[in-house]
Amino acid sequence: MTAEDAPPFRARRSGLARLFSAYGQEIVIACAILVLFAVVSTINPRFLGANNLNTIVSGNAYIAVAAIGMSMIIITGHIDVSVGALIGVLATISGTLAVSGYPIWFAWIAPVFVGMAVNAVVGVLVAYGRIPSIVVTLGMLSILRGGLVSVTGGAWINNLPPEYQLAQQRLFDIPAPVWFMILFTVLAALWMRHSAFGRSLYAIGGNAEAARAAGIPIERRTVQVFMIHGAIAGLATVLFATQLKIIQSTVPPNLELTIITASVIGGVSILGGTGTVIGSTLAAILFSTIGAAMIFINVSPYWLRAVIGLLILITVLVDMARRNREMRMARR
Amino acid sequence: MRKLLRHETILAVLVVLALIVLASQSDKFFTLDNILNQGRLMTEVGLIAVIMTFVIVTGGIDLSVGSILGLVAILIGVFWKNMGLPLPMAIGLGLVVGTFAGFINGIIITRFRVPPLIATLGTLALYRGIAEGISEARSVRGYPDWFFVLGQGQVLGVPTQLWLFGIVAVIAAIVLGYTTWGRATYAIGSNETAARFSGLRVDWIKIAIYSSSGFAAALAAAIFVSRVSTTRSDMGAGVELDAITAVVLGGTSIFGGRGTIVGTVLGLILIQALKNGLSLAGVKSDGTIVLIGAVLILTILISNLFHRNGNR
Amino acid sequence: MLRTSLAVLAVLSLSTSLVQAQSAWTGGDDLPTSPLACDGTPATPVAKPYDGGVPTNAPDRNGKQITAVDVPKLIGIGYFDATSKGIAEAAAELGNMTATTDGPTEANIDDQITLIDNYVTKGVDGILFAANDPVAIAPVLKKALAAGINVVGYDANSEPDARQWFVNQAEFNGIAKTMIDSLAAEVGEDASFAIVTSTFTTPNQARWIAEMAAYAAACHPNLKWLETVEAQEDNILSFNQANTLINKHGDDLKGILGMTSVATPAAADAVTQAGKCGSIAVVGLATPNAMKPYVESDCVKSVVLWNPVDLGYAAAYVLRATADGTLKPGDTTVKAGKLGDLSVINGSEILLGAPFVFTKDNIGGFNF
Repeated sequence: MTAEDAPPFRARRSGLARLFSAYGQEIVIACAILVLFAVVSTINPRFLGANNLNTIVSGNAYIAVAAIGMSMIIITGHIDVSVGALIGVLATISGTLAVSGYPIWFAWIAPVFVGMAVNAVVGVLVAYGRIPSIVVTLGMLSILRGGLVSVTGGAWINNLPPEYQLAQQRLFDIPAPVWFMILFTVLAALWMRHSAFGRSLYAIGGNAEAARAAGIPIERRTVQVFMIHGAIAGLATVLFATQLKIIQSTVPPNLELTIITASVIGGVSILGGTGTVIGSTLAAILFSTIGAAMIFINVSPYWLRAVIGLLILITVLVDMARRNREMRMARR
Repeated sequence: MRKLLRHETILAVLVVLALIVLASQSDKFFTLDNILNQGRLMTEVGLIAVIMTFVIVTGGIDLSVGSILGLVAILIGVFWKNMGLPLPMAIGLGLVVGTFAGFINGIIITRFRVPPLIATLGTLALYRGIAEGISEARSVRGYPDWFFVLGQGQVLGVPTQLWLFGIVAVIAAIVLGYTTWGRATYAIGSNETAARFSGLRVDWIKIAIYSSSGFAAALAAAIFVSRVSTTRSDMGAGVELDAITAVVLGGTSIFGGRGTIVGTVLGLILIQALKNGLSLAGVKSDGTIVLIGAVLILTILISNLFHRNGNR
Repeated sequence: MLRTSLAVLAVLSLSTSLVQAQSAWTGGDDLPTSPLACDGTPATPVAKPYDGGVPTNAPDRNGKQITAVDVPKLIGIGYFDATSKGIAEAAAELGNMTATTDGPTEANIDDQITLIDNYVTKGVDGILFAANDPVAIAPVLKKALAAGINVVGYDANSEPDARQWFVNQAEFNGIAKTMIDSLAAEVGEDASFAIVTSTFTTPNQARWIAEMAAYAAACHPNLKWLETVEAQEDNILSFNQANTLINKHGDDLKGILGMTSVATPAAADAVTQAGKCGSIAVVGLATPNAMKPYVESDCVKSVVLWNPVDLGYAAAYVLRATADGTLKPGDTTVKAGKLGDLSVINGSEILLGAPFVFTKDNIGGFNF
């Protein structure tokens, strides 16, 4: 059920309905965020304070950026469970370069290229080795996690030069991660929608055989999308590693699950072929909004995770109900 | 059938090779004591992986098993200690709740048509959250001695839980390989629409499979609590990835329609043998997980080379 | 569907209020507490008979070369990197002991148990451990004792009868007193503060929080505890949680207590980036290297910790003394190399010392 599947039916509907059916999930999530803001700020007006908005939007910016690449992977019909470990490894590489006297710009861009190289291997194994992506990335998760500990022995990186702290910069009093998140999301969204490359990813995820018949080089595209995903993970790493004055050389716990959840809650179909990167960015913001809201309205921290799980499920079920209704209407 | 066994044959050869190499590295490896003990340690993941095979053969996945394990572990403690129920009844109720948690997964997946990965990602957070909320981070200890027979004792010289695992694995292998249920499971995984049109009650079969997955996680919880003699809400975190690793290593296609219990059991044995044997041979745990990751990728790669039109 | 979810929410919020009515400070455990006297008078030591375990048919290891394995909660974090350095240092000094460190890559109960089990099978002379869970680890440690292996714990204890000795870095009530006293000294007696911890299930952290609650109630009754938030072992999450606390409580928040070496620097960074240095105090457990930038910029005044290198060092010496038979049940002190004589407390624990407070004056002298 890709958006392109039913053009004659779609053309007859009003602009608003079209918007709603193309961006339904994005709208559901945006509404969820607004409702949370409305409810929580009536209980505690400080929730709307400028600092808190910055914390909420910038706190998960690196997750949102990483979820852009994850969304592309999932749209193409694959998955990557190693991205959390990859970010941990890239952060250590970047920090080590920064404290060993390399130029700062080099420490910033190195993760992008290393990420690309690592994921090129993953992509080749998936595309040409014909191994399912979940298998390759499960293996990669072990390799990266174990390798990181073997190499660093657990030493943290401190004494980072102040000019390395990119994520602490502000422009118009808005933290840099927010700008990067918006920039990358908009660029990726436009590129996914309007470039031949982006459209080919939807085509592969929607129906690989049809895509092949249409002349799309599936294997090459698969390797390329994994490399792009690696590069984006590198960008996310920079936001992650430059946030604090120290870098923990361990893999952040459950990071890959958070990133995948952001993508799928954002409306990217796990079956491939549909979804946008705008949805995943909104979902990442939704998570940090929920996290902050729970603290602001004094939900017992013991029940925090249960409430978050429940809210995620409700978002999913509301969206599914919407889709199922739409499908029924389309059949009629 | 011969085509289906291809991967399992390669895997079996690998397992034998691994056992020989590991045994040559340490004289403690190939002893009866060690082998039985390893069986004890792999039972919880094993139980979950065996049922996970069914789930993945239908083309689904269940990420919530680790959370169900944690929830049931906490509930066994709470039912017994805080509510004063007899321990067997507490365990029984725990199994019921675990099965029900799996049933809810099944309902969300079939009735609301939520893809299994998303549905169980949601319940992964929810069930773990409920476990944390109920436990308030307190652990329940001080179980009666007879309870430890399940996780620490043995029957006829073999660890108690290994008998349970053997029974579950044999039943699962028979059901998947030789019954109409098994054939229906494969049919759903190969082509769900076709399975529906040929009159299979697809939704009910799926609900039953997810419920069994919840039951397996609950059973694993009871064994785990008995083995470590305490309950904590963070028990079982990450078990889902271990189980999935064993299942895909065993040759079950993540896209559904293909896979066997024999393969999963071989996958479990290979992983456990590597973890144990490498440790005995002096490899540290960070090196071990790197090797396990490499073995997972290489095994599937080799299997694909022998079996050209591979997994896709 | 909506109705069901509303019902669930109602149930959740109901149980929420119940939960909050029950516990004093969220995140503490329910074990009995023993707060120290406010003026620091040392508690009168209660003589307690040896309550540790005894290895079965341990061979005579006196003076002989022994192999030991060190299994910390997890590897890959600065703290246990430091303890393993201390162990290696002691082993090199002793000369007749080889020690390797091998731990799980995540603080996972089951992985740690499996690892220790493997070393029991492999056959080592001694096991050093820092338990992820005191009860869960007990069966495998008892198995080690039954195999004649000397077992000594450090940092995080197990049930006493599952090991021979436990090297205690500092008593829980001692840490609690130092933390609360440091906080009160910085923010005054009438201030409000919040806690950032790893997870509520981590035993050491839960113990400290419970002891802090008891000590604060007795000695600083006007200090107001606002709330405890969880931040896993994740520094960005710790940073976000600390920011949210600052945003929520505004000027009411005078102090943040960090309960882990991950949370404390992240909280200090949040306070620095919010420009609240001087108006919000950060006090916490952390390693000096991670805290140097914040201490040197005067944003953090006191960092509480023991020396983890010394902790590992002492643990290795205790293991050697146990294997030699020079440390026996009933002894009151044990020699630990450069650390001198350490005293035995609580039956089968060896006390490293009082917690150490790092300040701007002394933090430069430490490198771990």
